[in-house]
Amino acid sequence: MSAHGFSASESHSRARPNWGVKVIGIICLLLGLVLLAGGVWLIVLGGTWYYALAGLGLAISGAMLIANNIMGVWVYALTWLGTMIWAWFEVGDDWWAQVPRMVAPTLLFIIVLLCLPALYRARSTPRPTL
Amino acid sequence: MLRQTTRLAALLLASAAPFALAAQEAATETDEPAAEIVTPDETDAPDATEVEEEAATEEEATEAETEEDAPEEPADDEAGETDEGEEETEAQARAPAPQPEVGTDWPFYGGGPGATRYSPLDQITRENVAQLERAFVYHTEDLPEGTAEGKYSPEVTPLKVGDDLLMCSAMNILISVDAATGEENWRYDPGVPNDAIPYGASCRGVSLYTNPDAAEGDPCATRVIEGTLDAKLVAVDAETGAPCEDFGENGTVDLWQDIGERVPGWYAVTAPPTVVRGVVVTGAQVKDGQAEEAPSGVIRGFDAVTGELAWAWDLGAPEANRNGPPEGEVYTRGTPNMWTAGVADEELGYVYLPMGNSSVDYYGSNRSEAENEYATSLVALDATTGEEVWHFQTVRRDVWDYDLGSQASLVDWQGTPAVILPSKQGDIYILNRETGEPLTPVGELTGLPKGEIEPNYISDTQPISEWHTLRKEPLEPKDAWGFSPLDQLWCRIQFHRANYQGFYTPPSSDKPWIQYPGYNGGSDWGSVAVDTERGIIVANYNDIPNYNRLVPREEVEGVPIYEQGERGSGPEGAADPQIGAPYGISVNAGWRNGATGMPCVRPPFGGIRAIDLETGETLWDVPLGTARRNGPFGIPSFLPWKIGTPNNGGSVVTASGLIFIAAATDNLFRAIDIETGETLWSDVLPAGGQANPITYEVDGRQYVLVTAMGHHFMETPVGDEVIAYALPESD
Repeated sequence: MSAHGFSASESHSRARPNWGVKVIGIICLLLGLVLLAGGVWLIVLGGTWYYALAGLGLAISGAMLIANNIMGVWVYALTWLGTMIWAWFEVGDDWWAQVPRMVAPTLLFIIVLLCLPALYRARSTPRPTL
Repeated sequence: MLRQTTRLAALLLASAAPFALAAQEAATETDEPAAEIVTPDETDAPDATEVEEEAATEEEATEAETEEDAPEEPADDEAGETDEGEEETEAQARAPAPQPEVGTDWPFYGGGPGATRYSPLDQITRENVAQLERAFVYHTEDLPEGTAEGKYSPEVTPLKVGDDLLMCSAMNILISVDAATGEENWRYDPGVPNDAIPYGASCRGVSLYTNPDAAEGDPCATRVIEGTLDAKLVAVDAETGAPCEDFGENGTVDLWQDIGERVPGWYAVTAPPTVVRGVVVTGAQVKDGQAEEAPSGVIRGFDAVTGELAWAWDLGAPEANRNGPPEGEVYTRGTPNMWTAGVADEELGYVYLPMGNSSVDYYGSNRSEAENEYATSLVALDATTGEEVWHFQTVRRDVWDYDLGSQASLVDWQGTPAVILPSKQGDIYILNRETGEPLTPVGELTGLPKGEIEPNYISDTQPISEWHTLRKEPLEPKDAWGFSPLDQLWCRIQFHRANYQGFYTPPSSDKPWIQYPGYNGGSDWGSVAVDTERGIIVANYNDIPNYNRLVPREEVEGVPIYEQGERGSGPEGAADPQIGAPYGISVNAGWRNGATGMPCVRPPFGGIRAIDLETGETLWDVPLGTARRNGPFGIPSFLPWKIGTPNNGGSVVTASGLIFIAAATDNLFRAIDIETGETLWSDVLPAGGQANPITYEVDGRQYVLVTAMGHHFMETPVGDEVIAYALPESD
């Protein structure tokens, strides 16, 4: 969650792979898988489905980012939106209770959004390799 | 699972710091069942009795309880001369002495004789409090060395009498300091060794006694008396610090006498003794969780002049051991102890003792009937004879370490001399001081779960205060917390894996159980302050669960204190052994996430509230403590917002409508408006302020003083500062 240092490399204009986007994608994928696994465990224990679903969204988003697919950003956006709605539904305006629910997902959302320029560039630049 | 967490913590965390949850100090100390009295099958009988008692609700409870102890009857007579108490010492003959009042002085640990922590001083007001500045900073120079590292929790509250501040340091160095300048007058070091430190090095305060038969200027005419970690009573001259030669052996009485084998750290005094009718009354902290065969929780009274034993109250053998056990025997082992401060009514000659639980806190089937009767009760003794007058039990069959930790306060309540008793469960009771009968409604929880460990022992009913409680609603899965969804998810998984059936969920071993409030919940040794003029109780409190598990004997790694070669060598975080019971106990105090050190439930973790003394209604309630010193992985967040941190240490209320309190883990000392709960002023302390502040006056100038010495359990930085504040001199 505390991944930093991606933004610098994210938009090198050379026609090289978008390493920054890939790194962000890997982070999202790993976080998503952990959240998914823990979330499934929680479901088995009788808890909320939120974490598994959010983990799934995050993992799919990560996989797409790794593949330089701009859809990864929109999948994450959807996951984030769902998260906000769920968070509000659970604890409302208890802002300290919102800290774990809203802060990190939103920071990650901003980071994922930073991938957009690079992903657009990748789309407009004909890339024979893939 | 708990252990996994613990290990994880050890691996991932350097030091889980700041989100310190809690006050174990308060919570930790206990006692145990006396091996001798352990009758294997007392389970049923006592249960019946207790249920009956409490079922009878309020007043009945006390009476029934008293009856059980046949020998004593509620002695209402002032002098406490019951027929049977005749063989008592000359202490009995002592008449009530006039008691110094709080105001210019702060002559008792709790302020005035009634421990209300209320001061009539009013120079510092809501309007000018913002101008407060430090008048002086005094250093005790008592800082942890060697094996004492990481064990300091001084919790010191000085007294102020005449021109002097009188206090003890963490390791019981007695000190007199000029109350206006902070210059040291004298110090006396009783030489307490590091291995005497029980759970933490604490000395909450000292007591004073003025000998009515001494002329002014006689040595020790007024003496400072303290109990030490190595279990001594020490008396020195308040003027010079010289040991009182007439008291015990050259100023020292050995409290290990008749307790049994001397195991440093197992038996220690951390609270100021209570002096009533010329008798110094003290209990002791018996280190929690070691063994059923622990030192006795006996309460003893000593002649304040000679140090001779006046009486002993051994709840396992009250009659037989009143003047000490027979030659070659010891006080009943394993009985509930009193580690916190008592309070006395000099007129009545009664002393009010908040008792803890037995030393094996979390398993009860081996406890004696007497233990079941008195554990976690407020006990009133006639201090002239040592005989019980009444007792009031707050938990039946306590297997949660809900020791009474708060000093009780004496007030007149709607025309009746009363005693206010706060508990760790957050309940506030008001009892008739003479009879122990509740003056406010006491309710009854019924149908409580009995669990699978000892269903025949656990009580399915419990008393609660229907007048006021600091306790919050039961936890829900959505209360899981953290700094990201990941750690929150881990806590949520833990929630679902644990046993939790709300308040008084009984202990379990196959799965962990959630105890909420935890042993550091509600009101602890800081107790409450009572503004008797405005009719307001000010209570700071913790709101923190524990995540516990009974550990089967074969998995227990910890060894009891009497088998540890090197003190404190028990593995960190390992279960307390509870030798004698089939289980050890693993406690995750504050239920913290092992990976991040953060609490597993949402804030606030503590608050402060004002309660109408007439009606019990909440006037206001705000979180206490900002997030500035707390954050994940022990990294301070510097967030200035109120979050409500764990807090230990009480408050002072002044006639001008100000509440002064440190206590929280943000290391701030603050002034709060008693009408609104708004913080009007604060100062950053150099170390944790886990101590009760005081206020006093010298030469017409009002001072507010707090000690900033830190607290190992609260994970606040250690210091040795005594800091006095006052308004700028007006010249």
